[in-house]
Amino acid sequence: MDTQQEQFEKTVNVFINSVDNYFTYLTKQSVSTSAPYVKDANEVMLKECTGMIGISGNKKGFIYISGGMDMYRDLIKTYVGLDNPSTNDMLDMAGELSNVVAGNVRQTYSNEFMITVPIVFQGSPTKLKFPDDVPIYVIPIKWNQHEAYMVIGLK
Amino acid sequence: MKKLLIVDDSSMMRQTIEQNLGDYELEIVGTAGNGKEALEMVQDKKPDVVTLDITMPEMDGLDCLEKMMKIAPETRVMIITALSDKLTGLEALKKGAREYLYKPVTHEDLREGFDLLLNKK
Repeated sequence: MDTQQEQFEKTVNVFINSVDNYFTYLTKQSVSTSAPYVKDANEVMLKECTGMIGISGNKKGFIYISGGMDMYRDLIKTYVGLDNPSTNDMLDMAGELSNVVAGNVRQTYSNEFMITVPIVFQGSPTKLKFPDDVPIYVIPIKWNQHEAYMVIGLK
Repeated sequence: MKKLLIVDDSSMMRQTIEQNLGDYELEIVGTAGNGKEALEMVQDKKPDVVTLDITMPEMDGLDCLEKMMKIAPETRVMIITALSDKLTGLEALKKGAREYLYKPVTHEDLREGFDLLLNKK
């Protein structure tokens, strides 16, 4: 295993801990993750509702978390207490989830790890294009029976 | 009754904050989704207390805080942000924030934050 690979795996673990902390702290239900894998260039790993964060500073790239409406509906019901959230509410929650997961990574990487405001979208936008020169890792996650993807592209 | 302004680009977070105000003598005079809107509301509504996110479009919370302290230095500001590094927390406190909460925040965290913020002189 080369050093670059080890560094990337450490970074992935920081993100996994961050997403687990988010759900466990707010909902008392932890997240289970499957083994991360590298995404093929043409593979689209998107569910219904996605929050994406751009990353700059000493690491550059992006992270997104994509889950079904049911996951965000359950999260909003548990955390905010709303029984019938609108689509906009669920997109907002997707953005906030990604924002907190990425923002908490600064506990490890300090303020040289800079994040953008979240971009949120529903479905699979046709204009979404990933950089060719960045390895993109997919981490399948499951919370409260809902499957989602955390996808990280960093260099 | 003290006047409260809630500033966060997430409507879900704004609603979560609003839900925890029952025990306090706070009247919500406005909500804002970015720092620029927040500053306009500070000038217009003159809130006593502000909850302020940092990562927001148009103008971020730290820039907003700095400007807010110039026009309304007595405002009690509680930062509520996902940016969990110590340096950003220290910077916010230096710029005039009185409390700093790291997201994710539970309802209990929010109430503890308001307890501290409102009891401080």
